[in-house]
Amino acid sequence: MNPRDKRKLLGYAGFIAPGLAIYLFIVAYPVIYSIGLSFTDYNPNRGGEWSFVGLLQYKTMFSNPMFWHSLKNNMIVVAVSAFGQIPIGFALAYILYRGLVKGRDFFQSMVFLPQFLSPIVIGILFRKLVGADGPVSRLLQLMSGDPGKQFTLMLKSGTVMLPIAFALLWMYTGFYMVIFLANLQKIDSHVIEAAKIDGASETQIFGRVIVPMLSGTILVTTILAIAGSLKGFDLIFAITTEGLQRNNAMVLPIFMYQTAFQDYTNTMRFAFGSAISNAIVVISVALIGVANAVAKRFNAGEIG
Amino acid sequence: MKKALAFLFVCLALTGMAFANGADEKGDSERITLNVMGYGDNSNQEGISWRRMVTTFQEENPNITIVDELLYDQAYHQKVTARLAAGDAPHLAYMGADARWGAPWKEAGMQIDNRPYIDTNLFDMNLIPEMGPNGERYYLPIGTSNITTVLFMNEPLVQSLGFAAPETYADLVAMVPAAKAAGLQVVSIDGADGWAWGSCLLSALIARTSGDTQWVSKAVAGENAFDDEAMVKALGLIETMVADGVIDSKNVLVDYGSNISAFSNEQALFFVQGQWAAGGVENTDVRNSMKLMAWPTLPGQKSGMEGSVAAAWSVGYGLTKRAEDDGVQEAAAKFLAYVNRVEESTQRLRDGAIVAPVNKGYVVPDDLPVEVAQKVALAQSSLNTEVIDAFLTGPPNDALNAGMQKIAAGEATAAEVAAEVEALARQ
Repeated sequence: MNPRDKRKLLGYAGFIAPGLAIYLFIVAYPVIYSIGLSFTDYNPNRGGEWSFVGLLQYKTMFSNPMFWHSLKNNMIVVAVSAFGQIPIGFALAYILYRGLVKGRDFFQSMVFLPQFLSPIVIGILFRKLVGADGPVSRLLQLMSGDPGKQFTLMLKSGTVMLPIAFALLWMYTGFYMVIFLANLQKIDSHVIEAAKIDGASETQIFGRVIVPMLSGTILVTTILAIAGSLKGFDLIFAITTEGLQRNNAMVLPIFMYQTAFQDYTNTMRFAFGSAISNAIVVISVALIGVANAVAKRFNAGEIG
Repeated sequence: MKKALAFLFVCLALTGMAFANGADEKGDSERITLNVMGYGDNSNQEGISWRRMVTTFQEENPNITIVDELLYDQAYHQKVTARLAAGDAPHLAYMGADARWGAPWKEAGMQIDNRPYIDTNLFDMNLIPEMGPNGERYYLPIGTSNITTVLFMNEPLVQSLGFAAPETYADLVAMVPAAKAAGLQVVSIDGADGWAWGSCLLSALIARTSGDTQWVSKAVAGENAFDDEAMVKALGLIETMVADGVIDSKNVLVDYGSNISAFSNEQALFFVQGQWAAGGVENTDVRNSMKLMAWPTLPGQKSGMEGSVAAAWSVGYGLTKRAEDDGVQEAAAKFLAYVNRVEESTQRLRDGAIVAPVNKGYVVPDDLPVEVAQKVALAQSSLNTEVIDAFLTGPPNDALNAGMQKIAAGEATAAEVAAEVEALARQ
């Protein structure tokens, strides 16, 4: 390597080093530390003493029915994000971009509005909506003529994710809509005009021109949706009340939190919580890998 | 010149960083910084009083600076766990010594015997329960024991339907048709909060069906089983109450605030909560006319348990192990006495937060609100039994709370819930 290349290399390293250092310290270190912790019985309240316990925490985790229940609910959240928020956000962005509705700015603001609200506020709002004799129950009472009718989906394990899915759609769809809208605006309008001149219908323009051109954006939003869905805690925690509702709607981050921070009967709870958080990381990476593989299979990557 | 300026800037930045945390606990011989964790929020009386106490205490003691954190409900419990795990314990904190309020402090080794810091000239040690094996008092309770299973009755509303205070469960059942016709609930409970079923209802029921005031602690110790007949019967009473219409199944969707509001707005004849909820009834007509009572005689109740209520040690403020420095201990003890002085106890009494103060020779004011006088009378006249979550914690307690919600929602039977809790308790 000649001195000029060396200087260049040092220059590159100088640019990369601060970011790398921050990444290693803030992202990589906690992940690696958490992996190490999950093979011990560490509890900071015991004065820093710990022993190596092998795979005990993982065995305990896999044998706990609540883990599988939480994982199932997390997969529902992922599905709602990937197959709900993204397609709806994309469709709304396309409608606004093509000017298919009047009052574009108004609708854009309205759909994006929930992004300005705290998930806790939205959670409490939805909790009031679905509470006893809340607006949803009142509507049911009005429709059924039964004054005692209540909205009980939150009380059943099989249905609790329905109102939560609605809240998730309401809250996050605007975020994806804005991303798609920004990317749609980058598309050269001549391409669409050319397709129109060639006789393409609106559906064909969308399916054969727009979607392929934004496949890279779809991939990025999918990765964002998967990562966000698996670490999502606040909204579900705020919508549900402690006890049956939260148990029904349990997701891995809440399960991890309750285990590590509230279960004082388990003296190894911090290490057990680490095992759960590692499972979240592994599942996230695996799902993102699947998303990448699917994108590769369909040659995702923005054209033009 | 540029280099010199840059050097000066770096020096200033480093100096700023070094002193960014302010003076240490005892930066000089006079100034003491006290790290305190309070309980309450800006919307409740305890929180409002806390802000006032911190301000006035510092004005009266200019050598003491209080760095305080005020948290309420779940936020408090979460932050305690996080701070203790991070090794950031306060010098003085709101705490308890049971399974719910004391577990984090105990596990972190932060409990210390507060007897040396409690001024026996000001506080009656006979009213403060022994919390450790050697008579330790880990904190100074803000009041005597807390009754958690109070049945609040809107007496005028009950009378308007042609009934009187119930003496038996059958009396409550008799009110159901009239109450329903009037669009009222008989007994309202914040059933969306899992803990309410355990602390405010089952704690009373299990003592009645078992005839043992200490059934819960014995079950936790393994002397009783959670699927014993007494527990199945107690859980079965919830099934019965819902089936009879005494408790509407919709209460599984009612939260704490809505429960008190329903009673305050005269939508329920009774509501179940701890004695502290008395001050939350905002409708003054209702608050002044309501009656605080124990559950009436229940089906299958053992003899000798008439009028029993569950009660737990009141929480309060205590010095933690972190208060090691003599000056900090002295300042903390001073503040401890300050937040529990007679004026504050009287305020808590008036607010309905406590049943009775632990101040020595306390004279109850003549002009106390009606409900406070009733609380004192109830505490003095009733047999006290154990509160479940003062002893049972973790997954068995969670399963029990969620199980009662399932029973009320018709999703599980008493026997199923009892078996699940027993299995978890023995794991």
